[in-house]
Amino acid sequence: MTTPITGVLRELRPGRRSAVALAAAISAATLLPLSAPQLTRRFVDDAVAGAGTRHLVLLALAFLAVAVAAQAARVVTAWLAGRLAWDGTNRLRERLAQHALGLDMAFHGRHTPGEMIERVDGDVVAVARFVVAFLMDVVASLLLLGGVLVVVFAVDPLIGGALLAYCLLAGFGMARAQRLAVPTAARSRAASAMLFGHLEEWLAGAEDIRANGAGEHTVYRFHQVASSWYREELRASRIGSVLLASTGVAFAAGTAIILALAAWAQQAGTLTVGTAVLLFQYTLMVRAPFERLIEQLRQYQSALAGFARVGDLLARRRALPDPVDPRPLPAAGPLGLELDGVGFAYGDDEQVLSGITLTLAPGETLGLVGRTGSGKTTIARLLLRLYDPTEGAVLVGGLDLRAADPASVRRRVCAVTQDVQLFAAGVRDNLTLFRPHADDDRLRAVLDEVGLGPWLAGLPDGLDTELRGVSAGEAQLLALARAFLADPGLVILDEASSRLDPVTERRVERSIDRLLAGRTGVLIAHRLSSLSRVDKIAVVAEGRIVEYGRRADLAADPGSRFGRLLDVAGVRR
Amino acid sequence: MRAALLVAVRLTGFDLRRYLIGALLWLPVSVIPLAGGLLLRALFDHISGQRAAALEVSLWLCAAFVGVELVRGAVLVVAFTYGVYWWDAAATLLRANVLRSVMTARGPAAARLPHAPGESVGRLRDDVSDLVELADESVPLAGALLFGGAAVAIMVSIDPLITLVLVLPMIGIGVLSRLMNEVVRRLHQRARTLGAAVTAYVGEMFGAVLAIKTAGAEEAVLERLRLHNSRRRAAAVKDGMATDLLGAATAASVEVSIGLVLLLSAAAMRRGEFTVGDLALFTSYVGWLAALPRTVGGILYRLPQAAVATERLTGLMAGHEDAADLSRSSGVWFHREPPPAGPVPDRADPLEVVEIRGLSVRHAGGGHGVREVDLTVRRGSFTVVTGAVGSGKTTLVRALLGLVPLTGGTIAWNGVRVEDPGTFMVPPRAAYVSQVPRLFSASLRENLLLGRPDDHLAGALRLAAFDEDLAGMPDGAATVVGPRGVRLSGGQVQRATAARALVRAPELLVVDDLSSALDVETELLLWDRIAAAGDGGGPATLVVVSHRKAALERADQIIVLDRGRVAGRGRLSELLDGCAEMRRLWSEELFSEAEEDPHYPAGRRSR
Repeated sequence: MTTPITGVLRELRPGRRSAVALAAAISAATLLPLSAPQLTRRFVDDAVAGAGTRHLVLLALAFLAVAVAAQAARVVTAWLAGRLAWDGTNRLRERLAQHALGLDMAFHGRHTPGEMIERVDGDVVAVARFVVAFLMDVVASLLLLGGVLVVVFAVDPLIGGALLAYCLLAGFGMARAQRLAVPTAARSRAASAMLFGHLEEWLAGAEDIRANGAGEHTVYRFHQVASSWYREELRASRIGSVLLASTGVAFAAGTAIILALAAWAQQAGTLTVGTAVLLFQYTLMVRAPFERLIEQLRQYQSALAGFARVGDLLARRRALPDPVDPRPLPAAGPLGLELDGVGFAYGDDEQVLSGITLTLAPGETLGLVGRTGSGKTTIARLLLRLYDPTEGAVLVGGLDLRAADPASVRRRVCAVTQDVQLFAAGVRDNLTLFRPHADDDRLRAVLDEVGLGPWLAGLPDGLDTELRGVSAGEAQLLALARAFLADPGLVILDEASSRLDPVTERRVERSIDRLLAGRTGVLIAHRLSSLSRVDKIAVVAEGRIVEYGRRADLAADPGSRFGRLLDVAGVRR
Repeated sequence: MRAALLVAVRLTGFDLRRYLIGALLWLPVSVIPLAGGLLLRALFDHISGQRAAALEVSLWLCAAFVGVELVRGAVLVVAFTYGVYWWDAAATLLRANVLRSVMTARGPAAARLPHAPGESVGRLRDDVSDLVELADESVPLAGALLFGGAAVAIMVSIDPLITLVLVLPMIGIGVLSRLMNEVVRRLHQRARTLGAAVTAYVGEMFGAVLAIKTAGAEEAVLERLRLHNSRRRAAAVKDGMATDLLGAATAASVEVSIGLVLLLSAAAMRRGEFTVGDLALFTSYVGWLAALPRTVGGILYRLPQAAVATERLTGLMAGHEDAADLSRSSGVWFHREPPPAGPVPDRADPLEVVEIRGLSVRHAGGGHGVREVDLTVRRGSFTVVTGAVGSGKTTLVRALLGLVPLTGGTIAWNGVRVEDPGTFMVPPRAAYVSQVPRLFSASLRENLLLGRPDDHLAGALRLAAFDEDLAGMPDGAATVVGPRGVRLSGGQVQRATAARALVRAPELLVVDDLSSALDVETELLLWDRIAAAGDGGGPATLVVVSHRKAALERADQIIVLDRGRVAGRGRLSELLDGCAEMRRLWSEELFSEAEEDPHYPAGRRSR
């Protein structure tokens, strides 16, 4: 647990100059309030002793100046800390996002985007807030407490000792009491998370609920969930308020003890009235830092959980090992493809693929045919090295993917999948995925190529129009346009046209042909007609290749599965 | 601003008894410190020896000081615990009102919900808190005023001039808060908007992780995250700064006041007219008095935030609803079971014919929508809406159900114009299976019934071809599904939601495209079972978006859409003769269905 936490802390560490500035601000914000009671003491003593009004007025003015300066120091501290907090939060969020993006698809398959929001946004904010609040509150509070104790010791060792003993006792008591409050507070937070989790689901399904007349029922369910949330809050607030009240009483007791000692000392003649006032004011000053310390102690528990989760995520490693001696795929031209006895299983589940052996010369195209769940998509994922095969090897451009430089795999192997993932961003950003490489003319040309030219012309701000309400088919066309923008040597089209209507698909088909010209291609297509120009066909069933050959040969063979299939679909052999 | 105040006032009134009792309990917490000040005054006067008394009296005064705090603590516990009910009830009231509006109010909900559900939840959490907090502040305000009045009276009796001067910094703070209102409101809104943008972007990023990884776009995507992050940082730092400055100004006013007391009392103290005890009392009261401008200032800088919150919450509600509806006293059930949803309205006017005339929908952000669509659906008919991608199929059925705003045209039920399809086209008249259906984190049974009695459940499960799946679930209908439960496959979700619609025994069942999750055979089975059910509990009338053979062959009428307009209508055979668009769609569908399943020739699948 130590290692991940230090890792997290490293991300949050501010730069040297900011740290120095913050330290200076915190010191000023601590020392200035400490000096104010000294002025009141002299004021009272001198007034009682009958000093001149001018002298007293000067003291009062000094007090005013110190007080205002102390507030200014506090504002500067808060400003600096706020900036540091956000810098740290952002750095950690970026680091975590980067790390998580680098993890395998196996990881992302198990974690929903909602969970990732919690990790990369929720936990990060909680952790960073805690670290900065810790600096602000714990460090500043301890400084102030220490300062008060030192000054009081200097004034009267006996009273100083009493104050120290009292502080230790109160701190111990409050920390113990706090431990009582933690479980109820955790339960109340869980109840609140439950409440908002339900609300999110209902709001996301608002149309289903409305059109099925379940609106009133949803409100009924909300009241039920809200009621259990209230019960947890009530329980937590009972304990919380008792703690709050006991703190008040404890501090009143502390003040009373110090005042009684002061009264006694004054009676004995060892202490002036002004000093009694000073002691009173210092005792009052002890309370705020104590309360802040306790508050941080409370946050500490939940921050610790956040730390652990964030650290856990940072500690997670790619399951796909990085190659020891990465070699790049050929930088240009079509890439040959070879699958040699490939088998695969997701985790401990049953075998999804076994004994897959295929060969494609550079520039050849392969059509994968088979019903849903036969393993076609898994083959595509292996080609992208989203997973490594459990048996055999996948060779692209003559290179085992496990030995290839991952960046070159991303550059040279390109896929269009059935699920198109779009951002609430402009058309340009959705095409380039925020990369600045392509000029607008190229983007327009690409959109024209996939038949989205008229669609683009109808958008109010052209390429800068934010995507909203894009139909499933248009989304698919945009994904295809992304592939056009890349310059891959191996293209995988996984049901790339499953969401396209036949008319649109035909328009796209010509573009796909152009995309495949001079490239190696693996096509998983819904419609046999779109496989009319591939060189080879593999029919996949239950994770095995049940038929494999040149398309022309299979089509000519009256007994082949593929040939029969063409007949029923009415496609010319 | 007025709307926010209205909400706050009505929140205090929805359960006036509890609010008042809570306030009365809370007031002593604010007022008791008056006694503490008086005790301190006596104590310091004793210590400074201006009153002849023994050490013993001082010690008793110290004990009394602790006693006062004990009483205050006891009252605080009672008031605090009692107040939780009011706070939670007020928040629940606002949330329930927004939720009810989103789920049941007239007009389409899609138009007002933000893109990401997370953002709506953010409003229901933070904006609701802001509003309740504003109303809640009224109690500390009353307490501070009461304390202030009494404290000022005591102080005036000691030294009127000093008391008068003390009030000045507090007024200054009030004025400052007032001036900064607008700035704070703007900064706050901006910070929230940019914060939500970061959250939404992180969500999208991980939603699109496959596309990002296969494109190798990680660095560029992270660069954009950095941009979002730095924008948010700038806004959040400014927002925090403005709030801190106001806070510091109030805190400074306390210190300045103490300084002023010293300044003004210098002469009087020398003369012995102002004692050390008086100084202790003034210092002690000033600290508490600071609660007054702080509370007033708190309310003043909460007001602009609450105004934003009110805007954002009413923004989720229907167009005809305002802050009054947001804060309507609709009831809270923390101690009792909430009243269940009312019974399904009677089938007063059974469906004979639904007529859509000249229906048009324009999408705000581009897209075709639909234009001038006429459609007549008679009882007992099977209508299929088909067409190319983006031709407006889903838009048409959503418009029929009132889920998107119409830009033109009418919908009539048995010849009577439907004013608000969103609240009219619901069970028992209509039910809906959407293209991307949602299950909620609850038992499967709850998901299917959603408040309905279960008399149609078994039938609906069978009709939806979900009965076999159910038999395989670990806990049957009690299996918890949805995001926090067992994950069902796409096809299972689709069939479960079909069952959800069928449980409602609607006269008109509207089904958006099932083909993305159901294979050809299962879809065929579904239509077979629903058709066979006929009058015996199944829906009499169907409007279905599909391009599948099974649906098209069965249809009494097919509406072919092309770029939002009707390209043809009639039976399949007629359309295959007369409609070029239909011919294209049909031939391609045949290829696709044959390919989907190489083991079975297409011919064996038609009955």
